[in-house]
Parts: sequence; C-alpha cells; structure tokens
Amino acid sequence: MPRIRTIASTIACAGFALLGSSLAAADDDNYMNSVRLGSYSVFYHVHADDVSGPYVPPGVNIHAENLETLYGAYVRSLPYDFQVELAMGWPPLAKTKGVGPAELGSVPYNGQVVSEVRWFAPAILLEYNFLPKSSPLRPYVGVGANYVSFYDRTVTPAGQAAFGGPTRLSLTSSLGPAATVGVDWHIARRWHFYASYSASQVKSDLHADTDGIIRVTRVSFRPQALILAGGFSF
Amino acid sequence: MFKVCTAAAIALCAALMLAACGNDSNTGTESTSTAHGTLAQNPPFRIASVDAATLAAQLGATSAGAQLLEVTGAPVCGVDFYYLTFWTTGAAGETTESSGALMVPTGAAGKCSGPRPIVEYAHGTQSNKAANIADITDTSNTEGALIAAMFAAQGYIVVAPNYAGYDISTLGYTPYVVASQNAGEMIDILTAARTALPNTLAAATSDSGVLFLTGYSQGGYVAMATLRAMEAAHMKVTAFAGGSGPYALEAYNDAIAFGDVALGATEFAPLILNSYQHAYGNIDSSTTPPFSSTYPNAQTLLPSTTPISTLFAESMLPETALWNSTTPVVDIPGQPVLSAELTAALAIPNPANPANAVFDLGFGNPYLLNNDFRVAYAEDAATNPDGAVPTLMAGAPLAKVKPTFGFRQDLWLNDLRQGNWGPIVPTLLCGGDQDPTVFFAANTQVMQAFWAATPYASAITVLDVSATPSGPFAAIQTGFQASEAALLAYLQTPAGGGLSASAAQAQVIENYHVDVAPFCVLAAKSFFASL
Repeated sequence: MPRIRTIASTIACAGFALLGSSLAAADDDNYMNSVRLGSYSVFYHVHADDVSGPYVPPGVNIHAENLETLYGAYVRSLPYDFQVELAMGWPPLAKTKGVGPAELGSVPYNGQVVSEVRWFAPAILLEYNFLPKSSPLRPYVGVGANYVSFYDRTVTPAGQAAFGGPTRLSLTSSLGPAATVGVDWHIARRWHFYASYSASQVKSDLHADTDGIIRVTRVSFRPQALILAGGFSF
Repeated sequence: MFKVCTAAAIALCAALMLAACGNDSNTGTESTSTAHGTLAQNPPFRIASVDAATLAAQLGATSAGAQLLEVTGAPVCGVDFYYLTFWTTGAAGETTESSGALMVPTGAAGKCSGPRPIVEYAHGTQSNKAANIADITDTSNTEGALIAAMFAAQGYIVVAPNYAGYDISTLGYTPYVVASQNAGEMIDILTAARTALPNTLAAATSDSGVLFLTGYSQGGYVAMATLRAMEAAHMKVTAFAGGSGPYALEAYNDAIAFGDVALGATEFAPLILNSYQHAYGNIDSSTTPPFSSTYPNAQTLLPSTTPISTLFAESMLPETALWNSTTPVVDIPGQPVLSAELTAALAIPNPANPANAVFDLGFGNPYLLNNDFRVAYAEDAATNPDGAVPTLMAGAPLAKVKPTFGFRQDLWLNDLRQGNWGPIVPTLLCGGDQDPTVFFAANTQVMQAFWAATPYASAITVLDVSATPSGPFAAIQTGFQASEAALLAYLQTPAGGGLSASAAQAQVIENYHVDVAPFCVLAAKSFFASL
C-alpha cells in the first residue's frame, strides 16, 4: 500500500507540474488543460469459461462484484474540438464470487467471495466535443485504449476452502479498446461538471495455483462505468 | 503534446511499478529437498471436503456405493481428501516423486477430531497408470471410496500411497512386490503425511501415535513388508491386518508354474517381471526370454493409461493364457526321472476335474510366457523346492538355498518368509479359501504354517471368510457368504444375465478375490477397534 501512495503522489506531482506550467502559458479564456475528479461506478458484465483443471467439477465459474471508486483524469485540448483524456480510478478492490454448484463437496461455493484483486487501470481516450466551446453543455464521444494490471491478488479463506488450500492467483494484464460518451457542463469560468458512460474490453487469463494444482479460466470482465466528476480548467 | 506524453509516461511507469509490487496471496511451499520421506508440497492440496451426510448421500447414490455402506455402516465423520506428493526411491534406488492420499476425518462427533489413530492402507494391483487413490471425485476409484467409508468416515486418519510408477511418478515402471522398496515407500508416505497433518485445513485432527497397517491383495503384501521393515527399525506399529496378500511369493509362483494358473496372472506377470528386471537385472535373457514372440512388448506394458480391457481386446496381452497350451516335454540330459516328473507336472491340470476349470483358463495359444522360461523355472523349483509347494513341509520354509534361475531367485528374495522375523503386534491374516487369484493356501496359510511353531503364533489370527462362521468374525463370514449366495442367485435371474447354475458359479468364482476385499477390510477395522 505505501508503494501505491508513492505512485499516486508521483502522478499528483506530475499533474501539479503540468498545471503550473500550463497556468503560466494559458490564455485566460482558452484553457488547454483540465483535471477531473469524481466517482467511478463500475459495472462488470463478466463472461468466463468454466474453471478447468484437476478435480474441478463441471459448471464452476466466477463473477466479479460491481464497485465504486475514485475517478481522476487529466484532459488536454487539441485543435478542431478534439481532446485527449488520460483517466484512471483509484485502484479498486474487485471481489470475485463463486458461481456454480452450491457446494464443492461440502464446501459452500456459489455466492461466496473467493478472491479479491486490485485493478490498476489507466485509460487513454481521444475525444471529440460537439457544439461550440461557448455552449454550456457540450456532448462528447471518445475512443481509446484501456490497460489493466492486477495486483494484491488474494484468495479469501472461503476461496481457499473451495479451491483446496492456499492459492496463488495470477491474472495476465489486459490491453483493450475503450469507448466513452459523455457531456461537459460548463458551470463557471474554470469549473465544469462531467457525466460520462464508458465501456472497455478487459480480458485476462486466470491461473490459480493451489499447492501445485493448476486451474485456469479465461475471463472477459467487460466493465462499464458511470462517471460523475467535477473539473477545473487551466 | 509533450506534456501529455509526459503524463502518459508517468502513468505507464506507475503501472509497471504496480505490476511489480503488491501483496499477493501465496500457495504452499514446494520442497527443494528430494530426500526420501520429504513432503513435496506443503501443505498438501485438498481434493475434496465432504461432511458425513454428503458422503453418505454420494455413496448411496449408486448401487455399488449403497452396498458398500451396508458393509461399512453410515459415516460418522466428514472426510477431507488430501493429495500427498512426496519423495521416495525406486527398486534400484532411483529418486522419484510419488503420490497418495491423506484422508482426514472432520466434524463435530467426538471421534472426528483431536488425536486420532492412523490407518496406513496399501491398495491392490492396479493396471491404470493414472490411478490416484486420493481422487474421490473419480467414480472408478472404488478402493479409495472403500477405505474412506470404512476408516476415515469412522474417525481414522488414512494414509495410502499410489505407489511409485503411478500417477505423477516418472519412474517408468512400478516396483511390483519388491519388499524393500514397497516398505520404504510406505514409510516415506507416512513420514510425509505426519509432516502434512498439522498444516492441513483440518488441523483440528492430529496423529494420536497409534498406527495400524493394512492392505489388500498386492497391498496385503506391501503392508506386511512394511510391518517387517518397521519392526526391524523399531518403529511403532500398533497392529497389522493383511487381506489376501501374495506374501509367500516363491510358493505362490511355484504353484503357478506347475499349472495352478492364477486368475489375473497375465496382468501380474508383466508387472512383476518388469519390476524385477529393473531391480535385479536378471529377467531379460537371450537364452530363455520370458515373453512369447506374440507379445514382444508385454513386459513394459503395465501399468498403462490404456484400459486393460482394451489391451486384451487389441491383442496386446492375452486375457488368461499365461502358458502355452502345448505343454513342454522336458528332456534334461542324464535325468530321465526328473524329466518325466516335470513333463507331468507341467501338463494342463486335468480338465475333467471341475476344480481345475479356473486353472485351465491359464493355458492357450497365443500365450504370454514361453515354455523354455517355464521349464527353466520348474527345473529350479524341482531341484530346490519350496517348503510349501508342491508338498507342504513342517514350518513351510523357503527353498533351502538361493535359487539359480533369475526370476525364482527374485521371488525367493522378496518372499516375506525371508528375514527370520514374525509379527510381534496383533496380526490378522484375512482371505478366502476359494480365492482363484491369490491362493489362500499358498500364501495366508503358508505364513500361518511358517509361524505356527514360533513365539509369533500367539499374535496371529487367521480369518477365512468362506469358512463356517465362528468366533469374533462370524458376522463377517456370514455376511460374505450371504453376499456370495445373493450374487449367485442374481446371476441366474433375467436381470443378472440369466446364467446357468454352473456359469453363474464360475462368474462368482471369477469375482471372488474382489468380492472378499470389503469384508477383509471390514474385518481389519473390527480387529483394530477391538484392540
């Protein structure tokens, strides 16, 4: 956790450096940069192959619980109403639940939180704004890429009981397309409110190593996110 | 744009840094030592955990399982099934990883947790190389289900090896009935299991220090070899119960050579000959090659991932014909009497005698083993006879001197009459005197006779499940005989195939060795519980 704070601080420092330089350079009415902060409501639409490997009965699957986290972004204006957004959420702790048989042997499985994993998931989006800059409401659409790295992968006691012992999880990182649609409400000179809905493709190969026994599945998380954020331009 | 790139680069670096750190949960530890007895994966993997009610329901869901429950009684405890991997050695001292089962009782009942006795069980001959006795999810694992229901679900911790050469072992053969290896592997898995026990998910159950050794068929031999080794090493054993084991290898194989061909001999022969070739290097021979030219690859065929029924169907192994139906005419230069005796002894047992019907199945063409090999064996046996076959002598001793024929020499070496020893702990020898696979008279009764006039005799109880019911195991004898009678009647019904009385009887005899197993295991449990 301290390392995450260090990294967050590094990003914040970099942001302030950019802020400072841009403030000095920006024309009062033509801000080129903005930062956004808000809430990130993530809805997973998980599709996973049934878990396969030794001693796994048919129909054992997993599901990720929806979650909320902090949203932050840096946006740089480009010519012709384009902008580029570098966004990410505070790495959320995603909980994975068992789906399938009510019990494996006599161990509860279906509906049990079997693992937890943090997502580091920055996205970069090229966005196009509709309507003139002077308009108080400017819809925008964007496409880009989303990178996900999974860390702090832990298997809960319920998961250990279901899987058969202490388990090491590995999930391959994912790089996939992302898209967003949103609206920018200019509420004051430098202040904005944003609402957007995003979708991205996140696929990962999950390997669970329980005392040398390997079980695998391929997971498509298909997250969609509702973002509500305030922004400051400079 | 430069600033955007800078921010993106920082974020990317952050991602890479995050990917490299974190607080991930870990799995068990894989041992770096390959010393024998080392637990390879600690804690061991738990294949399944079932409570008593679930185990009863799962077993009761099939007719075979329901019959098993009738013998074992309803489960009292739940059972955690652990897959043990450990290091051991092969017959020639090769280091190999092997595997097996650790079954731990669980649950609220008093005898399901706390300090509990260990039952170490050795399984019978298995042709399936992939067999894993720990895998209770495999419906073909009937022996695993038997010991789980009989022992683990009744409050005993169970330890059972798969044997080197099976499952994950890359040994390339299995050390079949090699006493020193078999005992060593049993001791190794016991050591590994005791290491594993405190670290399992069922840590409330611990080793009380009481150790019962048992096994059936090949496993009866393995368990007795283990008893001998543990006694020699002054290791604590509480009691022993062997079921239908080929303990007296020399006597048993002499009987087979002289025409009493055991049912299953075409499965046992490749296993034992390949095992002894690896252990002693004296089986392969250019002058007396064991295997007929019809089955040139038979020696290394087993264990196999191909079902043995397929090996039979595809003519890779004969189903019953161990010997050539054209029996040899023996002509030993200068020894006409011995030659004549051996020629007669190697003839097909008189087909007119119904008692020989099973033995006569062991002759045919194509056949598995060559006449020259058989003659060489028989000549060795005739000149240096075993004390039980063909004639039972007082004390049923081994051949007086080390045999000269390689295979018989190996049997002599691994016969459990070797070692000037006897059981000093309560011992039950269980079997059935109609057994056509592992002959009761040539094994169990030979051991009984061998120890009859020694101080060890007082420790030994012999149970013949086919004998007139009497004594402490009368209920088991009655149960077995009722079960056989029910099977005989069933086989003559339309549902059972509508066999004639004689065909049904033949079928019952064919299944006899397997049918005795749960009753001998039950006798073992009853014997252990009585101590």
